[in-house]
Amino acid sequence: MSEIKPKEAPAADKKEATTEEKDWAAAKAHFENLKSTKPRPPKPKYAVTIAVSSRSLFDMVAERKIFEEEALEKYVQHQQEHENEPLKPGPAFPFVKALITVNERLRNLYPDSEELFDIVLMTNNHAQVGVRLMNSINHYDLTIERFCMTGGQSPIEYLKAYMTNLYLSKDSKKVQEAIEEGIAAAIMFKPDVETQLSDTQLRVAFDGDAVLFSDESEIIVKQHGLDTFFEHEKQYENKPLAQGPLKCFLEALGKLQKKFYAKNERLNCPIRTFLVTARSAASSGARVLKTLRSWGLEIDEALFLAGAPKGPLLLKIRPHIFFDDQMFHIEGAKEMGTIAAHVPYGIGQKYNKGKLTEPEKQQK
Amino acid sequence: MEDKKNCTGPLMIALQYNDLFDLDSISTSTDTDALPKGRAFTFMKAVQTVNERLVEQNKSDCLLFEVILISKECSEEIKTKIVESVKHYGLEIGKFFFCKKEELINTLQSNKVKLFLSTERDDVYEALHTGIPAALLYDQADDHVFNQLTVIFSGDVIGFSEDSLDGLSEFGFSETQIETIKTAKICMKEFAVLIGQMRRRFGQENSPLCTCVLTSWGSRNVCASALKTLREWGLDVDEAFCLAGAPCSPILAVVKPHILWDGGLLNMS
Repeated sequence: MSEIKPKEAPAADKKEATTEEKDWAAAKAHFENLKSTKPRPPKPKYAVTIAVSSRSLFDMVAERKIFEEEALEKYVQHQQEHENEPLKPGPAFPFVKALITVNERLRNLYPDSEELFDIVLMTNNHAQVGVRLMNSINHYDLTIERFCMTGGQSPIEYLKAYMTNLYLSKDSKKVQEAIEEGIAAAIMFKPDVETQLSDTQLRVAFDGDAVLFSDESEIIVKQHGLDTFFEHEKQYENKPLAQGPLKCFLEALGKLQKKFYAKNERLNCPIRTFLVTARSAASSGARVLKTLRSWGLEIDEALFLAGAPKGPLLLKIRPHIFFDDQMFHIEGAKEMGTIAAHVPYGIGQKYNKGKLTEPEKQQK
Repeated sequence: MEDKKNCTGPLMIALQYNDLFDLDSISTSTDTDALPKGRAFTFMKAVQTVNERLVEQNKSDCLLFEVILISKECSEEIKTKIVESVKHYGLEIGKFFFCKKEELINTLQSNKVKLFLSTERDDVYEALHTGIPAALLYDQADDHVFNQLTVIFSGDVIGFSEDSLDGLSEFGFSETQIETIKTAKICMKEFAVLIGQMRRRFGQENSPLCTCVLTSWGSRNVCASALKTLREWGLDVDEAFCLAGAPCSPILAVVKPHILWDGGLLNMS
């Protein structure tokens, strides 16, 4: 979790390095031969890799029903029969489109750089379902060239093999496993109402505690109440909080933002980040800003709600994705039309609307 | 009563003895009765599992795997040891061929081998070059997984268009290498047809045979093309990976295939 890209696997012996270079050269050959203007995907070790599941990228609610109610065979058969019918967009679709827009801008400014977003379709689905997925991707002309269809196997090891920076899925178990393995991940929720989103700027909103930062302060709130929390935060204002699961993703976004600033595009930057926290600016907010500064990270807008509901504010921001660790906020966001992504991390998972849902386990 | 429709087998695979047994560690081996196990051991066990499951479903199924063992240049002593060791481990080896190095290709051709499997990239490359279906025996197969045989087909070999393949010459690939890739596609087809028939004897879950497509260089259209072609040949693969140039060794390390059909692509040096 501490690096943008996991350290390169020690497979760097000479022979493998040459094979990898040959693989890269052959891929270049293929793309150059495609008499089209299709851009070539970047080298994973320099790119920000986002893995999306099929159900996050596309709306497969009806198909999922078949899978759950009838046998696997029936589900695969159904998908094959409807192979040429493109699927409708899912919750992660606007986010993916925004990533592609940023890539276009980056390629314009830095034609030879490999520091781009790399989107991988990471699905548990059987390869035969893959044909429908690929047809759908073709239909929307999305720049997704990398796939992993595991035919039922767990995607966790593959996430590492594809050097994933962020994993989006509708499956909470897989997302939890990914977070435990140190990969930033979140569970996607489709909003109840559709909102008009920017098609020129990628807008990403983050909650603070237990998303960008660890859940250490949230533990204090839950166990000792708000007053203790305020005192504690004031006392430790200058001590940076520990990292949370999405910190590295914010860092990766920041790195790409700086590329635009370097070319005088600050005012026209196609990436904008938001912090939407229940903390208040007057008291506990300072620690958060100081922590970000100590990490060398910038966030474009920091919004302190002092406990007010996040829904209405998010509606004003209109992010392509909003990360929060508490289902309470996710539901609030969803109801008002914001695409929300639940980060199942930290003490907030044991509580629902402020009440403990499971008995306290022994502290480690 | 024999079901005539089923009789397209056996699916003959040739192995070399130095893949089945580890000759380098003979001196350190404590077992004097048999040669130490080599890299092809898990492959043999997986193949035997598939055969058992096939026979379970249909006693008279004749589309089974048959493995023959080829030995180049070995002493009489080793020859005896090989036969004894095979018996010792209870391996189902159909035939033994002891021949000279130069006779390898002929032996393979005259026995209508459907697949020559080796960890030696050069041997695989040479066989493909003469039109013999050959694939890599991946040498990092999981030592503990015996209940499933995993086969990977190269999506690049199957899905790349002729033009794209010819274009490779500008990127350091020789004419011979490009021709070998084209030959590999033809060889793969026959094998894929048989594997497809075998695969269909089992359901989607709990199958002892797992088939995959790995597109290392090509984009999604190459991968989609490979999937559709394999389907036309009668094989619905289970897993698919499309890398568009990303390194494939991390993926192979997760999949851990036994048989890797790369058409001689991955050994370009």
